[in-house]
Amino acid sequence: MGDKKMAISQNVTVYIDNVAYQVSKDNNLLAGVLSQKLNLPYFCWHPSMGSVGACRQCAVTQYQDENDTRGRLVMACMTPVSDGMRIGLKENSAEKFREQVISAMMTNHPHDCPVCAEGGECHLQDMTVMTGHSSRDYQGSKRTFNNQNLGELVGHEMNRCITCYRCTRFYNDYAGGKDFGVYGSRNQVYFGRQKDGTLESEFSGNLVEVCPTGVFTNKVFSAHYTRKWDLQSAPSVCAHCSVGCNTSIGERYGSVRRVMNRYNSNINGYFLCDRGRYGIGFVNGEERIKKAKGINQQSPEQLSRLDVSKALAHFRGKRFIGIGSARASLEANVYLKKIVGEDYFSAGYSHQKMKVASVQQKLLQQAQLSGEIFSLSDIEKCDFILIIGEDITKSSPRMALSIRQACRNAGIDKAAGLGVVSWQDSAVRTISGKLNTPFFSMHTTATKLDELTEQHLLLGPDDIEQMVLVLTNAIYSLINENFNNEHEKQLSKLSTNQQLFISRLTHKLMAAEKPLVVTGDSLASVKILAAIEKLTHCLTQEKLKTKLNLVVLSAASNSFGLLSLLDKRSLSTEQVLNQLTAKEVDGIICLEQELAAFTDDELTQIREAADIVIVLDHTHSRVTDFADIVLPVAAVSEGNGHYVNYQGLVQRYNQVHSPALPILDSWKWLALIEESFESSTMATAILRKKNLEPINNLDQLHRYFEESLSDWPLANPPPNNDPVARMTTRGSGRTSQAANSSIHEPKVTQDQELLYRFSMEGNKPNTNNAMPFTWAPGWNSNESINHYQVEIDGPIINDNKNENYLYFKHSLSGLTPDGEERTENKVEPDNSPLVYFPQGSLFKGDWQSANTVEFQILTHDPDKHFTLCLSKKLAERKGWNNGQWLKIITENENIIGRLNYDENLPEHLAYGDINELANKNTGINIKLAEAINVDVVEQQNNRQRLYQQAKDSQKKVLQQLKSFDQHIPIRFVAGGLDET
Amino acid sequence: MTEAMRPLTHLVNLKSPLSLSDYMSEGGYQGASKALHEYSPKQVLDLVSDSGLKGRGGAGFPTGMKWSCVPMFDDNDDNAPEFKYLVANADEMEPGTFKDRYLLEGVPHQLVESMIIGAYTMVANRGYIFLRGEYHLAAQRLQQAIDEAYQNNWLGKNIQGTQFSFDLYVHTSAGRYICGEETALINALEGRRAIPRAKPPFPQMSGLFGKPTVVNNVETLSNLPHILKHGTAWFKALSPDSDSGTKIYAACGRVKTPGLWELPMGTTIREILYQHAGGMADGLKLRGLLPGGASTDFLLPEHLDTPMDFDSISKAGSRLGTGGLIVLDDKSCPVAMVLNLIKFFAQESCGWCTPCRDGTPWAVEVLTRIENGTGRKEDLDTLHNLCDFMWLGKTHCALAPGAVEPLKSALRYFLDDFEQHIDHGCCSYKQNTAQKTKLKGHCHG
Repeated sequence: MGDKKMAISQNVTVYIDNVAYQVSKDNNLLAGVLSQKLNLPYFCWHPSMGSVGACRQCAVTQYQDENDTRGRLVMACMTPVSDGMRIGLKENSAEKFREQVISAMMTNHPHDCPVCAEGGECHLQDMTVMTGHSSRDYQGSKRTFNNQNLGELVGHEMNRCITCYRCTRFYNDYAGGKDFGVYGSRNQVYFGRQKDGTLESEFSGNLVEVCPTGVFTNKVFSAHYTRKWDLQSAPSVCAHCSVGCNTSIGERYGSVRRVMNRYNSNINGYFLCDRGRYGIGFVNGEERIKKAKGINQQSPEQLSRLDVSKALAHFRGKRFIGIGSARASLEANVYLKKIVGEDYFSAGYSHQKMKVASVQQKLLQQAQLSGEIFSLSDIEKCDFILIIGEDITKSSPRMALSIRQACRNAGIDKAAGLGVVSWQDSAVRTISGKLNTPFFSMHTTATKLDELTEQHLLLGPDDIEQMVLVLTNAIYSLINENFNNEHEKQLSKLSTNQQLFISRLTHKLMAAEKPLVVTGDSLASVKILAAIEKLTHCLTQEKLKTKLNLVVLSAASNSFGLLSLLDKRSLSTEQVLNQLTAKEVDGIICLEQELAAFTDDELTQIREAADIVIVLDHTHSRVTDFADIVLPVAAVSEGNGHYVNYQGLVQRYNQVHSPALPILDSWKWLALIEESFESSTMATAILRKKNLEPINNLDQLHRYFEESLSDWPLANPPPNNDPVARMTTRGSGRTSQAANSSIHEPKVTQDQELLYRFSMEGNKPNTNNAMPFTWAPGWNSNESINHYQVEIDGPIINDNKNENYLYFKHSLSGLTPDGEERTENKVEPDNSPLVYFPQGSLFKGDWQSANTVEFQILTHDPDKHFTLCLSKKLAERKGWNNGQWLKIITENENIIGRLNYDENLPEHLAYGDINELANKNTGINIKLAEAINVDVVEQQNNRQRLYQQAKDSQKKVLQQLKSFDQHIPIRFVAGGLDET
Repeated sequence: MTEAMRPLTHLVNLKSPLSLSDYMSEGGYQGASKALHEYSPKQVLDLVSDSGLKGRGGAGFPTGMKWSCVPMFDDNDDNAPEFKYLVANADEMEPGTFKDRYLLEGVPHQLVESMIIGAYTMVANRGYIFLRGEYHLAAQRLQQAIDEAYQNNWLGKNIQGTQFSFDLYVHTSAGRYICGEETALINALEGRRAIPRAKPPFPQMSGLFGKPTVVNNVETLSNLPHILKHGTAWFKALSPDSDSGTKIYAACGRVKTPGLWELPMGTTIREILYQHAGGMADGLKLRGLLPGGASTDFLLPEHLDTPMDFDSISKAGSRLGTGGLIVLDDKSCPVAMVLNLIKFFAQESCGWCTPCRDGTPWAVEVLTRIENGTGRKEDLDTLHNLCDFMWLGKTHCALAPGAVEPLKSALRYFLDDFEQHIDHGCCSYKQNTAQKTKLKGHCHG
């Protein structure tokens, strides 16, 4: 389907209704017609899933030559483009047939539009209008189905199905899901699960966008619903992992309603993961902080700048440690570091993690020197994959989806060899069979990608490091026989399985032209990353033609922005605690930090040692509970800022609506703090001295950084055209929605940022800025993105040309890795503790989205139970059966889990999905015992109780949201505290 | 009946089919032997092409041409696929067709021998007989024949001392009509949903499990031993003025002696119907017939002298199909007959493409109302539109076009009956039945 970053692929001349067009010959005719922005209806074809020719909607007439006046119908999606071909698009028999197809689908389609969530952005509606079908000929009754409860996230209404097969093609073929499928035949085909239950795939939410009708809908959106045309949207970036998928967030009446995919040809393409799509729920959560704490207010209804300045002025001259955050914006982190000074800035990372960060910086710097770090679209083209120490499906799910596509490349090449193009999806899959791209993986737990590997190993971190070192030596020994002896010696210490792994891996790696290695910091292992550094260095040797394309992942949306700020003077959490207890500093300023690295005891120590604790955050945590001052911070949908993703790509998220005061962007609070700490006239002093503008928006903030910091990395943005409208042209009610509070028509909220407007007035979407939402005349659904791409599946027209990359420096160098603080236990005779590693979790893996009430419900699903995986040999020796209950004994608690045999697991390792142990990512020693019934029942009851709590919370949140709808805050300026 | 005249059926014994040794004494496995010992695969291919053998499953595609598209590899070619497959399409589900069952139950070794020859020609090392699941007896007898063949070195490794190895399996289908479509059959064999595949790529390039595959009908394959034994001149001479070889024709409906008969290709409809099937049952007259199973167009008494070969029937406006006549008498309602057929097709639609999946039940809905007497004039337009909607090129496979063949020809030839149903609000064929007395309204006899 063409290299997305390159210019338009090979074009040939195609005559459509006797007009000549230049059409790419790499894709099918339907994609070609759509790339010309012509209207040809379709259903089953999808740019990422190719063509199957099921729906027959895209029929056009193909003529043999200029003299052929009759032609014959062909399905455009199944027809290759050839030079000089002649097509009738608006030709009578083709138009009649296309209308008949809709007419046939309508024999069973229910008249649900008024009550269907899809209405107003429904691809079926659009195609019906496009074909001109308007009156019903069919006299008979409609077949109906029973619906299923598919969980908290995706709704199911099968009567609306037009049997386009897109859902199963996405869920099963594209995303590798197993618990969903197609059943039945004739006009009773059914898409669903074998029985009711939560969809297990991390990508189930894409069914909502992939389905052209309202069969699969966003259940959360449906509960608090509004029509698409009424939504106010803004282009945003996902705040829940380091991939940085582009999103479009929609709000109405002042509350976030939903997240949709925002097409980005290099990153997420057309799909998001469920964490990105549904994780926004935390913004509406019960635990949101909406009021400041610890500040005296002159007026009880309103917090003023003066109130804050006065409160903070007390701390003028005090010394603070600033703890930045991997989930806070780049601006906020930079600002905090500036305020507290380089010597007092911390990332909230332990010393161990700082060492890891050091190696990460080095790896990233190296990777960037040899070219841009691979985007997801680059990853999808790789011909070799090695994953070291990561469960990508849970930590960075969208990347796992791309890796799944890369796994098909060997099969796609095979099909190409037989003359079958990649967009002929069924044929390519048939020819591919079980052939996969060479793929190897090593991790402490099983992962969902394991099934695609040629071989995968379950190993502890020390063994993983060892394997990487052996691999490096294996490669050296290929080019330099001096290494042979050493290599043989190392090999002999490995098991047969491991030896096989090394030899296969080496062989496939050296034969690859575009190999990918993915690793990350989830195991917090310096050794593993240092070994990988040796491996990448080895491959830069001249005799080897292979360039290793390395991707290093981290947990949060701005981990990499934060990483770029760490240098030798940055403080580890140990140092923070020391300085506080030694009274070298007076207090801490926590920026969007839940301080997960600290234990409860350590937090108590901090509280006792610190005179002042100031916290800026959006959701309650242990830290906000004991803070002296809490300042309510804008969530990703409520503010503006930049996140840096794993490639170093800096992406901007934009405010969807202006939240009720006193919620403000972190950086705005920090500006207030800076002012208050310096002097009350500081702001004016600065202004007078340097003739600086006030800082009301990001552009001004960036200019301020540029002038006052030596290493502000972002280039100035280009001058803007007219701001783009956030609302659709059919958006209703803006001037009347608050009429119950005041009948006066409010003016449009002034946006101090310069890119978007809080109304339907403004420049058309995609003139120069990222698009808030996608719509085109006659295309109300997300399929309208076709109109904004240079060509189908390619970059957006007027793509934001100044992509900003951050270039990493090894500023933490000197933090020599001097042995890990905890070495892994080797196997000892019975009764020695096992080392347990937690499996990744989609719903709990990110602190922000874990506050989403639907995720909490899913985490405490009472029909499920914790699993503990042990080596089969070990379990059998202990006399434990597969499926029996065991008690897991740790320092702090006992937990019950169900035993699962894993034949590949070494005896000294264990892994599982136990909630309480979810953050022990470097492993924890556990003891085991058989569980007694009383314990099992108690835990089940506990689980049920937590589940019920979450369910109750869900009800409450919904009630709250609906009552907020009645009292929409009117804001004239989306600005600071005194600007209402 | 001699072998020379009735090669396919002269050894049929429905009560107790011949064992391998008896089959061999009657001349069985001589064709296979000749192929293996005297001919190269290319030579057998040329023989089959030269013979003019056409597919007997309904499409009539020249067998030699189908086989010539199979890619051939040198012995040490790395690109050679691990398997090539020959599949016998024994999923006989076309209504009005029962010829393959006759062969499978009556002389199972003939198919085994045929497949050895076919596999040798395309250098296939594995074969499957995809058998309609309801044919329990055939399954049993085929497996028995295969077991005997293995025991006597006619299957397995190094057959009869040659380099050629071939494994053959019987696979019983779970039961869908669409499995008779070769690519849907292949999908079903793979354990997938029985949906036809888009072509290209053709099965010869990418078939079963993505490997080179040929699917042939049972009757087609059954000709091979005889062509090998007696040569192409003999085969062509069996029916000098028409397509080569013999054909098993059948007749069902209200005829005196329904059944099947192996006759020279090109025997006229009249001969089959009146000489072999004994003509119409007493008191009945011929109204029309479907010449080759349910998915063919109606022919009328005026077409009785049409030879039953692919071209002649095509020129008459229908298709030879499977060569089994379904006969409509003058006391049976054409509308009801077409409704019955379309109900079958709507039931058997695989559900992949919109015109077939939603068009066939629509036609059922309309025809049901017409047959029940609640039809309207516009319904005829709807039916014409549906015939157009579900025609070749518009659907994913040939099921729907086949489904509308009886409908569109009935609308052409029996329009009065349709109009009568609509105008009089009843089916005039329901004479002296309980149904008729229940009907209210004006009905002439």
